[in-house]
Amino acid sequence: MGRKLDASRKEKRGPGRKSRKQKGAEAELAHFLAADVPASKRLCSRSRRRAAKRCQELPTPVDKANADHQELSAPQDKKKDFHQKPITGKKTHEMQHQKASILGFSDENAEWLTLAKRKRLQSEESKEEECPELGYGSEEDSVSDNEHLSLGSGDAEEMVDDYGTSSNSESEQLPIEKAARKLKLLQEKKGSRQGSSSRDDNDDAVASDLALNMDVEEAFVLPSSQAIQEISLHPTDLHVIHQRIRDNVEVLQNFATRREAERTRQEYLTLLRKDLAVYFSYGDYLIEKLMELFPVSELVDFLEANEVQRPMTIRTNTLKTRRRDLAQVLINRGVNLDPLGKWSKTGLVIYDSSVPIGATPEYLAGHYMLQGASSLLPVMALAPQENEKILDMCCAPGGKTSYIAQLMKNTGMILANDANTERLKSVVGNLHRLGVTNTVVSNYDGRQFPKVLGGFDRVLLDAPCSGTGVISKDPMIKTNKVEVDLQRCAHLQKELLLSAIDSVDANSETGGYLVYCTCSITVEENEWVTEYALKKRNVKLVPTGLDFGKEGFTRFRERRFHPSLKLARRFYPHTHNMDGFYVAKFKKFSNMIPKLVKEVDSVLATEPTSLDIPAAVAAPAAKQVKNSKDQGLEVNEQFNGLSPAQHKTGVKCKRKSAMQKRLHRKSTAGKAKKHMYKKFKKGN
Amino acid sequence: MLSSSTSTAAILDASRLPLPLSRPFLFRPGASSACLAERRMRPLTEEETRALFERLSKYIGENIKLLVDRPDGTYCFRLHNERVYYVSEKILKLATSIAREKLVSLGTCFGKFTKSQKFRLHITALDYLAPYAKYKIWVKPGAEQSFLYGNHVLKSGLGRITENTNQYQGVVVYSMSDIPLGFGVAAKSTQECRKLDPMAIVVFHQADIGEYVRHEETLT
Amino acid sequence: MATPGVEELLARAEQEEALSLRQITVHKELDLEYDLGNLLAMDPNPPEASEFRRHGGDYLRALARGNTQLLINQLWQVPSERVEETVVVRLPEANLRLPREKPPPRARPPTRWEQFAKLKGIRKRKKSNIAWDEAQGEWRRRWGYKRANDPTKKWLIEVPATADPNEDQFAKLLQAKKERVAKNELQRLRNIARSQGREPPAPVPPPGAPRSRAQLGKELQVTRRSTASVGRFQALLPREKEPRGVGKKRRFQPLLGDMAAEKQRQLELLGALNRKEPRLDVTRAANKQLREDEQEAARSKKRRGAGRAGTGKKGKGPGGARAGKKGKGPGGIRAGKKGKGRTGKRNKQEH
Repeated sequence: MGRKLDASRKEKRGPGRKSRKQKGAEAELAHFLAADVPASKRLCSRSRRRAAKRCQELPTPVDKANADHQELSAPQDKKKDFHQKPITGKKTHEMQHQKASILGFSDENAEWLTLAKRKRLQSEESKEEECPELGYGSEEDSVSDNEHLSLGSGDAEEMVDDYGTSSNSESEQLPIEKAARKLKLLQEKKGSRQGSSSRDDNDDAVASDLALNMDVEEAFVLPSSQAIQEISLHPTDLHVIHQRIRDNVEVLQNFATRREAERTRQEYLTLLRKDLAVYFSYGDYLIEKLMELFPVSELVDFLEANEVQRPMTIRTNTLKTRRRDLAQVLINRGVNLDPLGKWSKTGLVIYDSSVPIGATPEYLAGHYMLQGASSLLPVMALAPQENEKILDMCCAPGGKTSYIAQLMKNTGMILANDANTERLKSVVGNLHRLGVTNTVVSNYDGRQFPKVLGGFDRVLLDAPCSGTGVISKDPMIKTNKVEVDLQRCAHLQKELLLSAIDSVDANSETGGYLVYCTCSITVEENEWVTEYALKKRNVKLVPTGLDFGKEGFTRFRERRFHPSLKLARRFYPHTHNMDGFYVAKFKKFSNMIPKLVKEVDSVLATEPTSLDIPAAVAAPAAKQVKNSKDQGLEVNEQFNGLSPAQHKTGVKCKRKSAMQKRLHRKSTAGKAKKHMYKKFKKGN
Repeated sequence: MLSSSTSTAAILDASRLPLPLSRPFLFRPGASSACLAERRMRPLTEEETRALFERLSKYIGENIKLLVDRPDGTYCFRLHNERVYYVSEKILKLATSIAREKLVSLGTCFGKFTKSQKFRLHITALDYLAPYAKYKIWVKPGAEQSFLYGNHVLKSGLGRITENTNQYQGVVVYSMSDIPLGFGVAAKSTQECRKLDPMAIVVFHQADIGEYVRHEETLT
Repeated sequence: MATPGVEELLARAEQEEALSLRQITVHKELDLEYDLGNLLAMDPNPPEASEFRRHGGDYLRALARGNTQLLINQLWQVPSERVEETVVVRLPEANLRLPREKPPPRARPPTRWEQFAKLKGIRKRKKSNIAWDEAQGEWRRRWGYKRANDPTKKWLIEVPATADPNEDQFAKLLQAKKERVAKNELQRLRNIARSQGREPPAPVPPPGAPRSRAQLGKELQVTRRSTASVGRFQALLPREKEPRGVGKKRRFQPLLGDMAAEKQRQLELLGALNRKEPRLDVTRAANKQLREDEQEAARSKKRRGAGRAGTGKKGKGPGGARAGKKGKGPGGIRAGKKGKGRTGKRNKQEH
């Protein structure tokens, strides 16, 4: 199987954030490794033999020949296609350049995230580069005999060969490789002759070459729907599937030119979805969700990124030591590390280590905490000040809490809460280990919160979520999430967020802020929840203070969110090389809890002319009243005010009114209110 | 009934009155009331304070005074779930809002009282023991690991030791890079240490920071 | 309105009578079985299913009424009498035995003596209730008031040869009687206690018999409380510990009390702990002195060649000394268990 799992990659050890999940991932890894590695090797050799045979034989089918021709340029072409997104950050065609760029980091990160030592760099490179390249290159090996491609390679050994020793030994190279090399040399020559100014020209030349190849290339034929069904029933070789995914993606990316005449985009997408689900072993529901979330090319990147572990990161505990000192000590212990980035003054990336990072004396003495890069972000967004009163609502396993304490220099007060007694044990252990003394640990359900204690300056809510951002840590998520889980999570998150907001004191001199974050990337658990809070409480979104990350969605499929949602930040494994994460920072501007009545009032006031609208609103709003206790009698009266006939019509002719509403929306597009009704309907 | 008969008192020694029916009243089970009292967070009694201080003074001597009388705020010891927490007054006030059974930890846990009312220091107290320790011992890098796995410190692993450490003196164990690793009791005095054979125990292990990993469940 | 004719009247009367008769006569295929003693009638006729289906509850009600009527009719057969303007019937003996409402009372558990007698096979021999009284020359009750040969009514008692001549033998008799009564009462109570499933109190060991430590402790506790004020004003002995489990609630300082005072208290305690000069431990000192005296005595005896004396006592000294250390007790014991600290402490004490 063409999994991007590497035998040489070390399993991570020691406790860290969500260590349970990590363990799960390790187990999964081991499972894959046992079966995969020999299989892929065998396939490679066989295919190599096959390739040799075919070279000797007369190349009967045109596509074979094409494929051979194409090999010269196809990989580079593909790279170009797939990695316009900042996954590599460098759009160079030269292998050397690609080697130098670090995959999985965004452009800005790539600048600072240089690797420490030259020697290690290469080995690291071989590991890292697999992620994108294997994805697009590797299936050719076995399927259409181009395992000789320098880019695509079945496993790490071959890659090393390509990059390293065997690259010089011409004798081992196959004719195609030689051709590729020639072309490259030619390019280089040209480049050196013409200088950097004519770079574009050069590129164009190559591009035209590629285009030529592409024209010759056989078009991707979408199997008939019957065939698709059969395929889904009898999953074939993964390499075949991967090849199909690759081709399918290509077609989808320039659909107008590459499509088959009578096939719809939908059909292509269906096939792609099925293939991805099989290839990456995702559940149908989750893959569908992800397809909604990402454009096709990015989706593949994302899925690929989920197959590899994120680099291990640690956070220096500035209560006990300094980053420089810690780095020195760890380097002396044979740990290979680098600063995490410009944005973090305390983070360190561990590349490899001869000692278990979770069991060094420094770790035990609390000089650092194993913590994913992504979980530093919400705390940085929270920006706790000294002598503040802060609530961490779902604190386990205490990484963020201790970071807060560290930023506050052990002053002020932190209330670390979690609903799970078992996980609190690790919180207590971690806090003591890290020398945090300003914390009270409690075991409430977060939803009880404003009742227990309120008036906090800042609140951090790291809500429990479906974990779709940390699939690399817990591959179980791929299959075991269904719609109900997501809904349940979202519901809980909304409840938690409201109680978190209620716990914040808007009149606080220094604070009044709340940070909501999840390690999930679905819109249901993030933007929806945020939007819900914006609607329900007197809060507004403020910039998180994180200068990277993608903006939150303000529009997602048919949904429209508040424009300020672009202040929220999303982080993805394939763009930022950290766990998928969502961070939103609220500022509470009033302790009042707004009544929904007002909204309904305003609704009725603003749209008095349209008959359907109030009726359409009435139905869901009535439901809302049933749900929420804080709605007084007024709401009912409000609806009593509507004539029953109107009400009835509204409910009965839902479809009709919806249509009219759509029309209406067109007329007054971009009105927030309107979205609210829709959300009302959908959300409830 | 019995006391009505004066002669009975004369015959039967008062000390040996069987008191069959009034017995449940007289011998009220003290355990239940004690349990109820234990679960509530409270200051230490004098006995408990004494036990705590005696134990602490083994390691930090008179420096306990620095813990009790701090210039940067009011700190106090509180008993919760039979554990002693060292906590600032401000944080204590915050913690009072939290129901007893929901409160897991506050401030720094120093240790716990056993059922027989003896005080046992936990590794979590190390942050306060290490800076004030009167007697220290440094272990060689090779012996660090062994100590962190809960073993005694042997002479072969002994790097340095504070002068004139008495036998059975509480000592804080440091690594050679001055990271506090735990604490224990000196098995031998400094003088005796000089002429010990390499496999002899120098410090009896009491607690080490490896417990953060090994005994996370029972840490506090 | 015309007056009704006689025939008419008669016919109406007849009708009414027939109606009333119909009301009191009930026809049954099989006669009922009566048990008048229990006011019980049993109807052996099977109920008519078709009727029941048609009329339901009404049918049942009619059936019940008819049968009751028959029972009442039967009652009228019994000879009745008139008491205070009321017709009263004396019911015959009941035939049917009804089950009892309450469970039968449990047998009284045997007393301690009954158990013992059964074990030993002692059977009670019935004595006659009367006995011959020599002095009065008549038969009298064996027990109780005016009993035969009443020892309390003796006008003269011989003083036993071994007895104190000044002892009041009459008072002694009276005393003995009272003690027997008290003992009986005690045994009765113990029997009750045993019958209620409570563990009977342990038999009182005779004075001077060896007792376990726990027993002694309990006895001590009971003795303390066996005062008029239930032990409230009973002072503790110098080294005595407060008894535990006496239902006295511990009082703790408030959680958020006077922090300054708390700090002060702790500092004082620290001062006391850190004081270097040894405290005078009277018990220990006394024990030490005693031991030295004994050793001195032994030595002098030996010097005089009078054998060896006092060496056996040596072991008790340290034990007593340790028990006497207040406050250091637990620490000392713990230290001793772990094989450390004890020597150090002793050194500290002695230097």
